[in-house]
Amino acid sequence: MSNSDYFALTASQTRRNAMVDALRAPCYALGITMAGFSTIARESGFDFWMALVTSLGVWGMPGQVAFASLYSAGASLFIIFVAVSLANMRMLLMVISAADMMHLKSHNLPVWKRIFWMQFLAITAWANLGLAQQKYPPHLLLPYYQGFALTIFTFGILGTVFGFFLSDLLPADILRVVIFITPIYILLLIINARQKANRLAVLIGGVLSPIFFPFAGEWAILLAGVIGGSLASLYSRYIAKWHLEPVQ
Amino acid sequence: MASRAGAIGDDHGVETLMEDYGLFQSWLAVLCAIVGTIIWRIAGVILAARIPADGPIMGWVNTMAYAMVAAVLLLILVHPTGVLATTSLDQRLVGLGVGLLAMFFSKRLIPSLLCGIGAFALAIQFI
Repeated sequence: MSNSDYFALTASQTRRNAMVDALRAPCYALGITMAGFSTIARESGFDFWMALVTSLGVWGMPGQVAFASLYSAGASLFIIFVAVSLANMRMLLMVISAADMMHLKSHNLPVWKRIFWMQFLAITAWANLGLAQQKYPPHLLLPYYQGFALTIFTFGILGTVFGFFLSDLLPADILRVVIFITPIYILLLIINARQKANRLAVLIGGVLSPIFFPFAGEWAILLAGVIGGSLASLYSRYIAKWHLEPVQ
Repeated sequence: MASRAGAIGDDHGVETLMEDYGLFQSWLAVLCAIVGTIIWRIAGVILAARIPADGPIMGWVNTMAYAMVAAVLLLILVHPTGVLATTSLDQRLVGLGVGLLAMFFSKRLIPSLLCGIGAFALAIQFI
């Protein structure tokens, strides 16, 4: 399909395309990753409904894992709140970035609907939106996101349900390989971002976080994100002047 | 939070601190986790409507989002929790390196993903 063909698509055709994209690979890997969360949650003392409601309501793997481990350690509610907020703070940036990519303002949705749709945003859907942006015109990105994110969400929730009861379903070697898919898939997606400044940000943020981790712990993510993103922004704006180049 | 997320399996010291949550407290904990995430989504929706689309602030927010997601992923790969923690750093770096190289040369997502995953699968068998 050439770029002009994408322009001619309707919203529901776009939603269907997005579902097919999700069904190609990411949804299975994510389902099994969420099954991994469910196993951790069960070992931490969650009952089934708590694991399910956590996946439905939080829908952000790093925050969920932090929650389960703090719960197993008997941490106070305040600590749980602070740690999960910290682990999922990137949602703020991802939501703004996704709303920008989808030109959400132009769709004139009421605030509660915008929040409703953003509830399904997690790293995989956000990163895939960056890829779809290179093919689809802006007005079709909201339907694309809806189709993609809902498919991923469905598989994630199914993974949570099955993972709780069937944690030893896959042989260990296969499980290791499957769990490896999601982080690599997303890294490959974002390292290929359309804007050079964003690619540079991925590089700097990715290098900084393991360096910061030994002394900063969980704060390494926030530090690496802010420092890496700011350096990439400053470099692209004042030294490379990439924003003056036409986007290819 | 002295220990990182996945310390569940290897940090038996925490059991001495263990206190059981009652049913009500357990659900309050779930609520804390949900609210701790949803506040960012709501704040994101509200702020997104106020930041000019093509301005430098939106550019900065985007680079920080990319850098932060990369930071999360590299932390998962270098200091993993759960199942991935049973593999070695060398094995994971082989998978990552092969995937990135394939992406660099081919620019094609799914083939590069398969190269990276394949290399990781071989690495767990032979390294």
